[in-house]
Amino acid sequence: MVSPKVSVINLQKRYGGVEAAQGVTFEIEDGEIFGLIGPNGAGKTTTVECTIGLREPDQGSIHVCGIDARRRPHDVKQKIGAALQTTALQDKITPREALALFGSFYKNRAEPDRLLARFALADKANAPFDTLSGGQRQRLALALAFVNNPELVFLDEPTAGLDPQARRELHGEIAQMKRDGHTVFLTTHYIDEAQELCDRIAVIHQGRIVATGAPSDLIGRSDRLPTVSITTAQPIDPECWSGLTPLEGLEPRANGAQFRTSNVNAVVAELLRRFEARGTTILELHVQKTTLEDVFLELTDTSSPDPRAQSPAR
Amino acid sequence: MRPLLNQLGMTLRLHARNKMALIYSYLFPTIFLIAFWVLYRYEQVPLARHMGELLTVTALGGACFGLPTSMVSERERGVWRRYRLAPVSTGTLVGGTVLARYALLIIAGLLQLALAMAIGMPLPRHPASLFIAFTCVAFAFIGLGLVIAMMADNVPAVQALGQCIFLPMLIIGGVAVPLASLPDWAQRLSAFFPGRYAVEALQSCVTGGGLGTARFSALALLLIGAAGALAGAKMFRWDAQQRFAANSGKGWAVAALAAWLAVGVTAESRGHVARTRTMASQTVTEPAPVPTPPPQPSQPAPTIATPQPPPAQPPVNPENPPVHANGAPERPKPSPATAPATTTPAPVASLPTPNAEGPPPVPSSAAASWRAVTMADIDRDLIFTRLPPDAGIVTPIARSDEEPDQDAVNQLEQIRLALPNWKPGQVDDPVQRVRNFLYVAGVVDVFQMEGLERFLPLVVFERLEADFKKDDLIKILYWIALHPSDGNDKAVDEMQPLGIPNGPGDMDQTRNRVAVYAVKLLGRLTGKIVPQ
Repeated sequence: MVSPKVSVINLQKRYGGVEAAQGVTFEIEDGEIFGLIGPNGAGKTTTVECTIGLREPDQGSIHVCGIDARRRPHDVKQKIGAALQTTALQDKITPREALALFGSFYKNRAEPDRLLARFALADKANAPFDTLSGGQRQRLALALAFVNNPELVFLDEPTAGLDPQARRELHGEIAQMKRDGHTVFLTTHYIDEAQELCDRIAVIHQGRIVATGAPSDLIGRSDRLPTVSITTAQPIDPECWSGLTPLEGLEPRANGAQFRTSNVNAVVAELLRRFEARGTTILELHVQKTTLEDVFLELTDTSSPDPRAQSPAR
Repeated sequence: MRPLLNQLGMTLRLHARNKMALIYSYLFPTIFLIAFWVLYRYEQVPLARHMGELLTVTALGGACFGLPTSMVSERERGVWRRYRLAPVSTGTLVGGTVLARYALLIIAGLLQLALAMAIGMPLPRHPASLFIAFTCVAFAFIGLGLVIAMMADNVPAVQALGQCIFLPMLIIGGVAVPLASLPDWAQRLSAFFPGRYAVEALQSCVTGGGLGTARFSALALLLIGAAGALAGAKMFRWDAQQRFAANSGKGWAVAALAAWLAVGVTAESRGHVARTRTMASQTVTEPAPVPTPPPQPSQPAPTIATPQPPPAQPPVNPENPPVHANGAPERPKPSPATAPATTTPAPVASLPTPNAEGPPPVPSSAAASWRAVTMADIDRDLIFTRLPPDAGIVTPIARSDEEPDQDAVNQLEQIRLALPNWKPGQVDDPVQRVRNFLYVAGVVDVFQMEGLERFLPLVVFERLEADFKKDDLIKILYWIALHPSDGNDKAVDEMQPLGIPNGPGDMDQTRNRVAVYAVKLLGRLTGKIVPQ
């Protein structure tokens, strides 16, 4: 049995009176892309910073690449690469200089030219940092995370603040990391990004992990029903809804409605018959199965605190 | 080691690309240098007597503004946070940054020296010591810069904090305004700021007796630097989100200030603190770099001459020269620097200048020659209570219970033995002879030869008392006090046989010191001053 790349058990950290992490536990397997998602203030950054040695936790055990991160943070840093949410460098440093400088801090060094080529920075190699675009800066941050040929890469909100084009490029980079056999640990608040990139996801809420699993597993586990939304040319006769089952969460609108149902076929077929009888014309009809976003919102709904706290990390 | 050198090299490279940093590091000091050159343009040796001040301003600007500004802006932007992800220690990064700053200060200092020498300043007397002194100064101020960097949450806070330290040091800390021009309270206060020790240590190597004569200053700088470095390390923050107010180590800022306090208190107790009064600054010292307004009649009387009727005599007065006992006129001082319009004010000349066209207004009862001096003249013309204090930096005299250190004892003994055979002490003209002996104390005072300058006047006084009859000596001393610009000053270039460096460039200053020492001895001889 291969030991996990990262093993965090019962991580606790409080700032003043705020418990940012209240017993966070998770594992990351070798070669997977693992995403940590959660609303702002849920404890994502605290968890990441404790794991990579930027903060000292109050309690808990953290092992990274088999090394006790609390006892030997320097050894852990030798083996991991990290790109923070916003990596700013000095205005006048060039990508080539930055890669050479940071590379010199490590025993195992990657060739700056190779990194520049890989992250599409070759033609900006000698441009001062303050002339780089947002996407180029983020690619440089990624390149810096690779200067030591890391076993494990941490990416904290890697696409925050990027335009869609740059985001797409970055997604390609991260997918490439997996193909190259790297283990990646990323945090994001873009749920679609997590769904697209991650092999497994942990949802953190109020300092606790409330669910862990592959995106499809999490969706499958959800008891949330598919959503149907209809737009019509005429107002819908309220009589149309009477006796229609199974139906949940009906939200009538001026010319249309939205509802959830466990039997899309039967309900939609009956509804079409009733529309036909009343001469109501359908302009749009959408059926959407449960998304990760639905699951996320369900799990992190602050009106029902700690929804899965009783069964964490299923 | 390699990470440290890389960090150092990168810091230097980035500095060279930063226009604002270059302006702060090199343009400002150059402007200061030119300003000093213009302000002190009448000095015989350009800038030599102000290199201590100039180099201090340079180091202060680079270390108190340059270093914390770059550190805080990098921390604010998250550069330090990024560094922290790498397996590199705080010491390595800060060490690299600090060493780079030291290198930048050295470059700025050398540039300033080169510029000053291009203008005409001679090579500093003790170049190697100057390097060591500058290193002490850089260490003290870099420590200070680290404390500022750790206290300031953002760049504007660096500017505010830096100014709070920079400006007082410049104005009342003895850096831009000479100590002797400052009022008593400011001189006392200056002992609690490192700037003063920086100027003293550096200046001793440029024109004085070397760093060995400014040991207290060097030690003070090292202490202040060490306290700053320690406090900076204890308060270190990687992240701009850690605010100073929430920093557990913020109490260390007090430790850094405690070093200033300790140095100030020690200086005070060891008598290093000047207590030169405002009067003294107007009459016996160099002018402040800002133009000094002419003394107003309503201001207190100057040290030596009578307040009214005005001046005893202008410094050079060919129409009515002072006359020697033998009838031969005392030769006017040949140096062009004594021309009234171009010199720093001498004690007497600082009074409202008489109309140059008309006959010089000589006090009606002033003596025509030193032999005719009476006690009435002395009582009328000299004010003993307005002298610079013996414990000050201008014309100091040791208390009777003070002991020189061993080096000074040997040197004093050597001078005591050499004085009777010293050539300038054997000239025929008694006035010139007394002048020459007094020059010995004056030169050492101007050079601020620590350890020696406070005790040497006593040796000189002893020699004078042995050489002259008391009554004659009193009259001659009065004469010298009222005629500080007369006679020749060749003796200042014959100090070598006594083991004292030859002449300071600024003869006016030396002559002023001679005049003050004359009054001080006169006061002792007549019982008007009771030495402590």
